[in-house]
Amino acid sequence: MPIVQLQHVRKVYDSKVAVEDLSFSIEPGTMFGLLGPNGSGKTSSIRMMIGITAPDSGSVSLFDQPFTRKLLSRVGYLPEERGLYKKMNVLDQLMFLGQLHYVSASLAEKRARDWCEKLQITEAIPKKTEDLSKGMQQKIQFIAALLHDPELIIMDEPFSGLDPVNATLLMDTLVDLRRQGKAVLFSTHRMDQVEKLCDNIALLHHGQLILSGSMREIKSSYPRNRIRIHFEGGDGFLQSPKIESLKRYPGYAEIKLRPSVTLADDAQSLLAEAVQVASITHFEVTEPTLEQIFIEKVLENSPGKPLDFTLQLEAPEESYLDA
Amino acid sequence: MPRFRLASLRNVLLIARREYRERVRTRGFLITTIMIPLIMGGFVCGSILLGSKTPTDTQIAVVSSDTQLALDLQAELERRQRQQDDIAAQAAGSPATSSPQKRRPRILVNAMDPGPGTRAQLNSDLDSGDLDGYLWITPSTAPAGRPTFIYTSRSSGPSFIKNILADALSQVLIREHLAHRGVVAAEVDTMLQPVTIVAGQGVSHQDHESAEISVSVLFFVMYMVIMLYGMNVARSIIEEKTSRIFEVLLATIRPEAMMAGKIIGVGSVGLTQVGIWLVAVLLLAASAVGIHLGGDTVHIALTRPQVIFFLIYFILGYAFYSSIAAALGAMTNSEQELQQLNMFLVLPLLFCFVMLGTLLTTPDSTLARVLALVPPFTPLLMYLRVCLGHPAPWEVILSIVLTSASIYGIIWVTSRIYRIGVLMYGKRPSLPEILRWLKYS
Repeated sequence: MPIVQLQHVRKVYDSKVAVEDLSFSIEPGTMFGLLGPNGSGKTSSIRMMIGITAPDSGSVSLFDQPFTRKLLSRVGYLPEERGLYKKMNVLDQLMFLGQLHYVSASLAEKRARDWCEKLQITEAIPKKTEDLSKGMQQKIQFIAALLHDPELIIMDEPFSGLDPVNATLLMDTLVDLRRQGKAVLFSTHRMDQVEKLCDNIALLHHGQLILSGSMREIKSSYPRNRIRIHFEGGDGFLQSPKIESLKRYPGYAEIKLRPSVTLADDAQSLLAEAVQVASITHFEVTEPTLEQIFIEKVLENSPGKPLDFTLQLEAPEESYLDA
Repeated sequence: MPRFRLASLRNVLLIARREYRERVRTRGFLITTIMIPLIMGGFVCGSILLGSKTPTDTQIAVVSSDTQLALDLQAELERRQRQQDDIAAQAAGSPATSSPQKRRPRILVNAMDPGPGTRAQLNSDLDSGDLDGYLWITPSTAPAGRPTFIYTSRSSGPSFIKNILADALSQVLIREHLAHRGVVAAEVDTMLQPVTIVAGQGVSHQDHESAEISVSVLFFVMYMVIMLYGMNVARSIIEEKTSRIFEVLLATIRPEAMMAGKIIGVGSVGLTQVGIWLVAVLLLAASAVGIHLGGDTVHIALTRPQVIFFLIYFILGYAFYSSIAAALGAMTNSEQELQQLNMFLVLPLLFCFVMLGTLLTTPDSTLARVLALVPPFTPLLMYLRVCLGHPAPWEVILSIVLTSASIYGIIWVTSRIYRIGVLMYGKRPSLPEILRWLKYS
């Protein structure tokens, strides 16, 4: 039974097409990544799933039923634009939001305290929301989305703006929830997070689905033609005719091999060449990363357009997550 | 789906309760609740203090070659003052002598004969302030003609003295005239006894004066509360838009429930505050200060139906204008934009105010009957008709139904504007855009 199912959903704002013919479904106990650069239609899609806007055509079903607002009491939602009542006390705020989701006041209070403990922000409980740091506010909002023990958790950019420790904490929490059988959907423009966490993905670009399916299948459908090599010394081996393209970074290079039936052998012989001129500390043969796949896909879909989104993909303030 | 409706109602109450608790807890609420009555009380006390100082005795001189006329005038003025004292004493429920705490200002009359230096003497007294004015009576040259009266006063002297004098003089002249015709003095007294009309224990709508007052009170209370709290509803919606909390809320509850909750929540804050003030006013009125305020001129007698309809129409009016304010809040993104639109709140109220004069005199005219059924005017004008006119029961019921329905309609439209409006950023929507939004959600 799919928890969420979108069928041929289309949404147009004035003249701008936000989402075009979008279809996908999410199964319980899986984590789903909705990917795409800014303005690709992620938030618009999410808003249609929780009834803030309605699709112009196509259908949205939740829990195997056509969308009704009643079903929303089983959905937890973290919006991209974080918003809490600034002047309100944290516990009151959490209890209020929990009660709106039909949790009794006493149970909401108990769960709020438990979650605060789990996310290590017990000291925030008696404080006013406006006195908290941005990261703490984000955790409060994260908790608010989970207080009613939803079966479907939808989070729009849940990790943006968090330091690595807290981002990992929230990621682990989501992984736990998936293990408990919840369906988790989150959107991001950070491909590495998705690669780590998601079972299934949908890649959006200009409102169109350009890639979707299970993470493992997508990856295995690509040949292992990527090499990451860390080396010291001469770099003459990078001139090899087996290499189609490459990126040089200080201390290492990322290589894409020419398509060939003997890819694995090509990689080995490249390593042999490299060993002769340099000392190798790391040599890895992989499928392309999701980011590389994405860039290729986008190029296929919009030839001639500049790759403006790659800048966003490598947003510097979040690059610590690469580590 | 009655269960779902119930759930909606529960959400409305949750939103309202949050709004209420958060607002009542703020320092701002405490300050306005305490400060506004203090300031108003200050004004009232100040004006009482000022008022109690100004009415001092007025010293005037009556100059007449006809000494009898001057003495008669003096006697007449004194008699009148005694009468007034008696009335005041009766109103206060105690004999005149036992309540000397506040002496009414008196006119002290000094009768004198015209002499060669009299006018100069009086003028210098006037300048020095020993005298407030003098009445110079010149006997008529014609045998049956009236004397001429010239009253000279200091410029700052109270002007009503002249009226009192003219009144008293005409009485004196009538007496004199009757006496000339041989009417006995005692008979003259009975003839000239002032008539007093005692207010009977009438039915509510016959008590025109108190109804007029209660309508005016409703008008001003409503105007003030709408301006203070209606705008708070709008502001709270704008605040929610800027804090972006609405997105979480809209993911669980219907925008209608949210709007209704806000109006009820912010509304109850207003009602609480007004309630506190009313209690304060009642306490103030019960204290000694209040007695002087009310005095013997105004007597407000409200009947039970008047009070009940006051509450009904006040709540309806408040809900109606708050939901319009909510619509304004949903359409705007900042307080400044809101200011530009608040005429939509003020204009209907002002229109009612303009119509008030006409309807007070003809509360059952066709114009009044039609206007009282138009929802923005119903709360004030139908209440006025209930108090002063004779509306048919179906008119009263229809007015309540129409207003309630339009409140629901406004909230419905507002919630749609809100739902779409909050998801758009920046610019204020134009009218065609708003219409499109209504279709679109």
